[in-house]
Amino acid sequence: MSTVKSKKLQVGTDASASNNFTIYQPATPDGTLRIGVGNADSPTEVGRFNSNGIVPKQSIISVVFPSTDTSASNSTFTKVSLDTITVDNDSSFDTTNNRFNPQIAGYYKIDAQVGFISASGGMLSEIYKNGSAANFRGNQQYHLTANRRNLPVTGVIYMNGSTDYLELYGFHGTGSTQSIAGTNSAHTRFSAYLIHQA
Amino acid sequence: MTLYEKITTLYTELTDADFMPDSGTIMLQNDSDGKGDYIREWNHPTLAKPTQEQLDGVQ
Repeated sequence: MSTVKSKKLQVGTDASASNNFTIYQPATPDGTLRIGVGNADSPTEVGRFNSNGIVPKQSIISVVFPSTDTSASNSTFTKVSLDTITVDNDSSFDTTNNRFNPQIAGYYKIDAQVGFISASGGMLSEIYKNGSAANFRGNQQYHLTANRRNLPVTGVIYMNGSTDYLELYGFHGTGSTQSIAGTNSAHTRFSAYLIHQA
Repeated sequence: MTLYEKITTLYTELTDADFMPDSGTIMLQNDSDGKGDYIREWNHPTLAKPTQEQLDGVQ
């Protein structure tokens, strides 16, 4: 039995490089095996493996919360000032404009929540995409008594990886100005995860 | 005084139902950018959107 040792193995000999694949070790070995489209001299990576198996090509996780309470007038959609990052491994969250603006196109799972500190009446949370409601509304609740209310909103949404952005809004009809809880992520937060590149 | 309070002072016939998401005809918004509350949409069938001068005149 013979053993072949090589840093690259091209699969396919088509005249068009895009019809061929290359299995290779990166120039600086890092314990991964790469698979690329193209000939062995210049493959474009499309996937990789390590000792644990397949490695997702790219992963994004972004978790943010507001550092201070946000004042919300009655019957007014109010943007939550998300400005404190817990995790953001791809710099997808813009804390200057308080918006999620990922640079990889794909479908993202969003889990967010708006916490009103003390409110009785109707209230809801909503995700805006590119400045407008994105048919992405969270829990609508009506409470007779004033107490802390956390309103979750969750779903999957496509982002184009360049200009698309998301913002978190809260709304209430309690009759007077209320506060959206800040300080930590216990009541108000925004989380996003890339689940499928597209 | 909030924008909601100014509008409902100008138009006393308005109720919270006019500002409700989906079913209402008036949408107020605040983008937390320091510019305050503003009228995002005004689709009321009979009442005209108030001017800034009218709003400023409400005490």
